Amino acid sequence: MLKYIAERILYTLPVAFGVSIVCFMLVHIAPGDPLTSILPPDASAQLQEEMRRIYGFDRPLPVQYGLWVLKVVQGDFGTSIATGRPVAMELGRALGNTLMLAVLATMIGFLFGGLFGFVAGYFRDSWVDRIASLISIVGVSVPHYWLGMVLVIIFSVQLNWLPATGAGPGGSADWVWDWAHVRHLILPAITMSVIPMGIVARTVRALVADILSQEFITGLRAKGLLDVGVFRHVVKNTAPTALAVMGLQLGYLLGGSILIETVFSWPGTGFLLGQAIFQRDLPLLQGAILTLAMIFVALNLLVDIVQSLLDPRVQRS
Amino acid sequence: MTIESAALLQVNDLTKHFPLSGGFFGRSAGVVRAVDSISFEVAPGETLGIVGESGCGKSTTARLLVNLIEPDSGQVILEGKRVGADMSVRDMRRHMQMVFQDSYASLNPRLTMEDSIAFGPNVNGMARQKALALAHDLLFRVGLEPRRFAGRYPHELSGGQRQRVNIARALAFSPKIVILDEAVSALDKSVEAQVLNLLADLKKELALTYIFISHDLNVVRHMSDRVMVMYLGQVAEIGPVDSLYSSPAHPYTRALLAAMPSMDPDKRTMEAPLAGDPPNPINPPPGCRFHTRCKFAQDVCAKEQPVLHILPHAGHMAACHAHIPHSGHSGLEARA
Amino acid sequence: MSVASFQHIAEIEKSPGYWAGVMRRFRRDPVAMIALFVVLALILMAVFAPLVAPADPYRASMLRRLRPIGTEGFPLGTDELGRDMLSRLIHGGRLSLLMGVTPVFIAFFIGSAIGITAGYVGGKVNSVLMRTVDVFFAFPSVLLAIALSGALGAGIFNGLLSLTVVFIPPIARIAESVTTAVRRIEYVEAARASGASSFTIVRVHVLGNVIGPVFVYATGLISVSLILASGLSFLGLGVKPPEPEWGLMLNTLRNAIYVQPWVAALPGLMIFITSISFNLLSDGLRSAMDIKS
Repeated sequence: MLKYIAERILYTLPVAFGVSIVCFMLVHIAPGDPLTSILPPDASAQLQEEMRRIYGFDRPLPVQYGLWVLKVVQGDFGTSIATGRPVAMELGRALGNTLMLAVLATMIGFLFGGLFGFVAGYFRDSWVDRIASLISIVGVSVPHYWLGMVLVIIFSVQLNWLPATGAGPGGSADWVWDWAHVRHLILPAITMSVIPMGIVARTVRALVADILSQEFITGLRAKGLLDVGVFRHVVKNTAPTALAVMGLQLGYLLGGSILIETVFSWPGTGFLLGQAIFQRDLPLLQGAILTLAMIFVALNLLVDIVQSLLDPRVQRS
Repeated sequence: MTIESAALLQVNDLTKHFPLSGGFFGRSAGVVRAVDSISFEVAPGETLGIVGESGCGKSTTARLLVNLIEPDSGQVILEGKRVGADMSVRDMRRHMQMVFQDSYASLNPRLTMEDSIAFGPNVNGMARQKALALAHDLLFRVGLEPRRFAGRYPHELSGGQRQRVNIARALAFSPKIVILDEAVSALDKSVEAQVLNLLADLKKELALTYIFISHDLNVVRHMSDRVMVMYLGQVAEIGPVDSLYSSPAHPYTRALLAAMPSMDPDKRTMEAPLAGDPPNPINPPPGCRFHTRCKFAQDVCAKEQPVLHILPHAGHMAACHAHIPHSGHSGLEARA
Repeated sequence: MSVASFQHIAEIEKSPGYWAGVMRRFRRDPVAMIALFVVLALILMAVFAPLVAPADPYRASMLRRLRPIGTEGFPLGTDELGRDMLSRLIHGGRLSLLMGVTPVFIAFFIGSAIGITAGYVGGKVNSVLMRTVDVFFAFPSVLLAIALSGALGAGIFNGLLSLTVVFIPPIARIAESVTTAVRRIEYVEAARASGASSFTIVRVHVLGNVIGPVFVYATGLISVSLILASGLSFLGLGVKPPEPEWGLMLNTLRNAIYVQPWVAALPGLMIFITSISFNLLSDGLRSAMDIKS
């Protein structure tokens, strides 16, 4: 058991290492000198040389990488060029906002997706199944940023029930759990929940249909187990995979929130990332991407481990 | 350099250990000793049967012979020439071919029967038209009318028909030796009988030599001239079929034969022939590998591995301390 | 057996091949056929855009800004610069489809090559190839697309490049997995025992049985690519104004939702229709290829 966990961690390390290299190299594949985003174009050659030394751009790449990793591990992600504040601080605050949104979206998606999927799988090939399948295909095919816009049109512009943008009255980024703030959360969360909803529905439907068609269910029914008992069995067998999918979806939402956060101007990591790109704020860009990617990697690992705890068969593969 | 021998195929100390992945970064957590230094011969024109339980190494041995798996050590000597040294693997494959157990998985679902059979010769230099003609000829020989079957796909044929195609494919090389790895095990009994008859006919017509691997002792008895019994990667006993079946020497062979269901109501099995579970090929017991399940095991059996020793009957050998004089074992009649 | 004894029988009963069966099953599926029809219509519309569109997609007029749907002469209204929406939507299909389909297409070839090689050769080659692929697979696709695009800068070429890199890993993984499975099947063993070269074995036995599932998987990725490509343009990466492209149009029309909300939503509707059609098409193809059901 512990051996499996240790194995998985050891396997993840080279991947994490690779991810950090990619994040590091992103800045360097950008066309042009990294300095151009820091200095005005008419800066003197002497100033350029000095800045180059200070930021370490004159060192060979592997050395730059090493220095960068050392700083990151200590929590120093550098300073944002745009705001002048430490990147770590900006990221920390934004991450909290995104986490709120993503967790809520995942829960909604899992709830409804699981429901639709279960019903579809249970009443396989009936009209219920077809409707649920339709919903799940829609969920997977809809461009979520567009959906956000449509929801804003309906609920903000036309009906004026919910706010269109921001995370609080007056655009403040300090969160309080009161209705004035929570109402800002509703539309983005629902929009975001559509992505996992479609996938969870599909997965759960396939699982449930598969389990119900297996012979051991016929055996259970023959033993006289009422449908409730069968129901419990189905849930027990579906749970590990469904939870795994949910975990992966959460990671995906955390990493890929930029589009929805841009639509709703939600001050999360995605929004921050967008700003960083727009302003060519390289330290912030690097820091954000690294953080989000690492969270995704860690979440994948966690899902692996939890899944193996719940389903002993996974360990042997 | 050729090695003098009347045997068509000679196998010396063939060994294959599979490393177990596991542990950190695939560091070896042990080895599966699938085939452990086995040696035997096959004379031209005979059928050697190989029997044993699942996991004894029969299929691995078959794959080692045609080099689908690389042996760790040992020699395969075909017509006096060492494969890999005096004879290339490619040449060996023209002389020795194999028919697998799963008739469906043995055929590419995307190829027609004639294409499947013609692939081998075509790849070895035969022109396509001639290869197709050869394919049709072989289909006829195995009892499948070319007009009906040449253009069909595997899923359209029955198990027995597919296996005939597999045999035809093996014969496309004009091999001297055909290895049949559980080739009839997956077929219905009536179909099995037909295919066995076909095999017997082909052997006579084409002067073939067979290595017939099976777990079905009755079928092996019916088909073979000599039989080799394998246990946990080693040869337990080898000898002429009649002698082996009527006077089995190795306790394992005795147990196997005793476990055969019989139609004779007077032959009743009173006690379980074998005790215990088959041990792990990863950690075989020390000494004789069978001693943990053997009724006749004595102290020497746990300490030393017995080697194949010739028995009173000609050509019959067994690896058992009870049959080796001066081994320290008191013999089969005396119980421990 | 002597050579002289062969006779080739010319007239044999030939069965329809595998793909004929797939096409037959596909034709019987109404949803799949409708999806195919829609996709073809969209592609044709995009290819023949200059002929189909009623007006010039670039002609702006500040007087005619943000007219509603059903305006005289502008059936779907006008955008924030007074350009005809219908024409822009039709022309927009060109870039949107291009950015959606091309990356998957290229990634299919590169990813399959990597995956099949890794799967067939196995051993260290497999480890090295697949670990590298895993590093890129470790990023959520949206993040990777945006990170690469953001680093390289806006533009169609950079967008195509980023998206292709995003889609190579999943395709490579599936190709490797299927190849590894196929490689162990007995007919490949029999082919190896026949003395054929690895290249021939891959060409004759492996490729035909691997490409099918990988292709179907890739078609399923097209809708994702479409959404992502338009998403990039939506963020200001990818296509640059004044080129018509659905995602970019959504971006520039964002503030118009307070004035002409439904006009502003139209480009996204096109993305949705295209995406769902490709998905249904891919699903139909998968069902048709599944002999079991």
